[in-house]
Amino acid sequence: MHSIWAVATNTLKQALRMKIALVFIILLLVLLPAMGYKMTGDGTVKGRLQTFVSYGLSLTSLLLCLLTIIVSIYTLTTDLKQRQIYTVITKPIRRWQLLVGKLLGVILLDVFLLCLFCGLIYAITIYTPKYLESSDDEMAQLRNEFFTARASLSPPEVEVGDEVEKAYVRLKQSGRLDQLYRGLTRKEIIARLTTQRKFANRAAGPGRGLLWEFENVKPTDPNQSIFIRFKYDVSVNPPDLQVHSRWSVGDYRKFRDAQPIKTLFEEYDRSDAIRTFHEIEIPAGVVAEDGYLAVGFLNLPLNNTVVMFPPEDGLEVLYKADTFGANFVRAALLILMRLIFLAALGVLASTFLSFPVAILFCLVIFLTGTVSGFIIDSFDYLSADVGAVYSFTLKPIIRLLPEFDKFSPTKFLVPARLLSWPLLAKATLFMVCIKGFLLMIFALIIFSFKEIAKVIV
Amino acid sequence: MEYAVETFSLTKIFSDWWGRNKVYAVDDLNLQIRHNEVFGLLGPNGSGKTTTLKMLLGLLYPTKGKALCLEGEAANPKISARIGFMPEESYLYRYLSARETLDFYGRLFGLPGKVRKMRIEALLDMVGLKAMASRPVGTFSKGMARRIGLAQALINDPDLLILDEPTTGLDPIGTKQIKDLIIKLAKRGKTVLLCSHLLADVEDVCDRIAILYGGKIQSQGKVRELLQQGDMKQINTGSISGDALDKIRQIVNGEGAECVVTTPMDKLEAFFIRTVAAAQAKDAPTSGAVSTTQIGGFLTEQAPVETILDKLVAAPVSEREVAVEPATPEAVTAVEGTEDNTPDKQLLIELAEPVAAAEQIKTEPVVPDGESSAQQPTREDILDQLTGRSAPDDEEQTQTDKPTGDADDA
Repeated sequence: MHSIWAVATNTLKQALRMKIALVFIILLLVLLPAMGYKMTGDGTVKGRLQTFVSYGLSLTSLLLCLLTIIVSIYTLTTDLKQRQIYTVITKPIRRWQLLVGKLLGVILLDVFLLCLFCGLIYAITIYTPKYLESSDDEMAQLRNEFFTARASLSPPEVEVGDEVEKAYVRLKQSGRLDQLYRGLTRKEIIARLTTQRKFANRAAGPGRGLLWEFENVKPTDPNQSIFIRFKYDVSVNPPDLQVHSRWSVGDYRKFRDAQPIKTLFEEYDRSDAIRTFHEIEIPAGVVAEDGYLAVGFLNLPLNNTVVMFPPEDGLEVLYKADTFGANFVRAALLILMRLIFLAALGVLASTFLSFPVAILFCLVIFLTGTVSGFIIDSFDYLSADVGAVYSFTLKPIIRLLPEFDKFSPTKFLVPARLLSWPLLAKATLFMVCIKGFLLMIFALIIFSFKEIAKVIV
Repeated sequence: MEYAVETFSLTKIFSDWWGRNKVYAVDDLNLQIRHNEVFGLLGPNGSGKTTTLKMLLGLLYPTKGKALCLEGEAANPKISARIGFMPEESYLYRYLSARETLDFYGRLFGLPGKVRKMRIEALLDMVGLKAMASRPVGTFSKGMARRIGLAQALINDPDLLILDEPTTGLDPIGTKQIKDLIIKLAKRGKTVLLCSHLLADVEDVCDRIAILYGGKIQSQGKVRELLQQGDMKQINTGSISGDALDKIRQIVNGEGAECVVTTPMDKLEAFFIRTVAAAQAKDAPTSGAVSTTQIGGFLTEQAPVETILDKLVAAPVSEREVAVEPATPEAVTAVEGTEDNTPDKQLLIELAEPVAAAEQIKTEPVVPDGESSAQQPTREDILDQLTGRSAPDDEEQTQTDKPTGDADDA
């Protein structure tokens, strides 16, 4: 352990004294306050803070990722190239201890810098409303919609498999299958029908309504607000690009089961612009004691268009589940997990590649990692044709990529969404415990077979 | 097992990426180095010396055969904890200061804080870099970096010291210091393996040598046996009159032997050390290494240092710390400040005295090559006739000089 620690502290000193980290530190120390001062967002205080947190955290994350890649590669490749490793590896230290020490050193650096910069971003975020002398209304809005951590519930997916199957049989019997879907396999037709059916479940014609029922809505405080966040999509653009609607929120069982239920029931008549997000603030009292909540939407006939709620984020119920501070800490930890993965990757790359090549290698992985969702989706889409070859070769490799976009901290902080501990644990498990660990195992295997003295990197 | 280092048909073949162009860097090498031996591995450039060392240390993997250090493989931390290695050049972390560098290596050995601190100070003092211990080693000259390289090899008080070209890049004082150190360590029961092509250094300190060429041992044996000219004798005297000289000639001719009388030249090394020592005594400013010929305290203590120091860390060490430090500030004054010191320092100085050449040389004329005659069985009858008076003195001289070995003034 002492030898791991010695290597780790030495790596930390190296990063700090060789001025690699210094460039990044200075850059961020200048940029972050400047961003906090200059960024105005959409003009509101909330928009301003959202923009700052979004760009500030993204920039910090990006620069620290680059720094981590550079330092983790630099530290081992220079040791090999400048041969300091001769006097290190001949001391009582196992090779794995050297690698773990290097990794630990980089992680220490990351923790230190992350604390520094996230602390700075947090301080600026908290201080800005006071500096701008925001009004009470703005402060209330900030408290509800920004300085909070809201859990989100999406409507449960309705199982459409049976319906689709029936529809397919019906089409086949009526003989319209060839007419509509010429040249497609059964699997493809089913997939198309499923998508259609899912869309249909999220759409309402003029004068029609939609009803969503949620379980397990658990606001921390019955006196606070809950929010319905939604976005309209329409088949035909209305003349003023507005959708007129009536929203009803409460315990629907009162009507369905004719039960005497006393929870609040609220109705809202609204008109909202299409294709942007809106939030309806509702007192938390509408949630029944057992966590049941129903949300009804009526597409008023005067709209004269079909209104759809896009899948994924078309409609959500948000409620406060934790504080902004706690959420921010978890967001920072999420970035740390990303950095630990990259540090392990850098150590692996430096065991068999020279400095420039290793940098290139890691950057490619890093960049593909940031769009891994897109890559996985597109390959999955293609996999119907590629089949077994794909699923046994490329797929596992793609799955090994880090999923940075899936676990992006700004995705949670900007809309004030709860980044829950289980989600953080999941990210840690995948990125660090499984992928990072595998990388280190590979690194160790390569490194233990490597002839230290022969290396000319 | 009786060997500190042993190789069994050790072979290293370097080949290109395709496995062609085979070069036998080391070819079927069987090397046996006994405990407490100073062994020199000689050979021209590219003869496989360094490759052999690297295989011993686990920096290269043998193509065939096996290399054992202290009855185990050097990759084993238990073994490497007892090995000190100084590579052919000092590869140091440029951003660390000299003290931090040694601290880093001390930590790798898991030395407890107090022992580490004590040893670092003693070593810095020994290699004469105490004054610039806080400077980054990146700003050091090659020789100064070599000194740090030596210090790091000694921080664990190794049982086996492996030195790759130990004296290249060092000034004569540093060279002499290393040679003295090697002899001291051997006296304390350590084993030293050094490889070099600076033959003078090897000749001075090694018990046994092997000459490598083409990865094979070409010649091997005890230095003395390999080099001794059995049919020659040398006599050294102080300034004597021409009459005495004639008498000597007569006696020698009476024995039927040739006699050549010359005034001995001072060795350049001795002259150099004397000059620098004089400048140091005058406190001339320098930004370079302040050379001392002292050996780090913990390295010269005869007792098994590990057990005493490391087990009784608490109280005795703090005393030792104090004991070592006072010896440090004026490098050259070590001999003068003998009277009022603790036993530890006494010991240090006692041990360092015969080799504290700077002082010694200043006051006494150098006796070049004295020991080579001293080592040989002397014809006492002739000596008695020659000098009449100083025979017993001479004998004493021989006795005291002997333990420090042949490095003295050589």
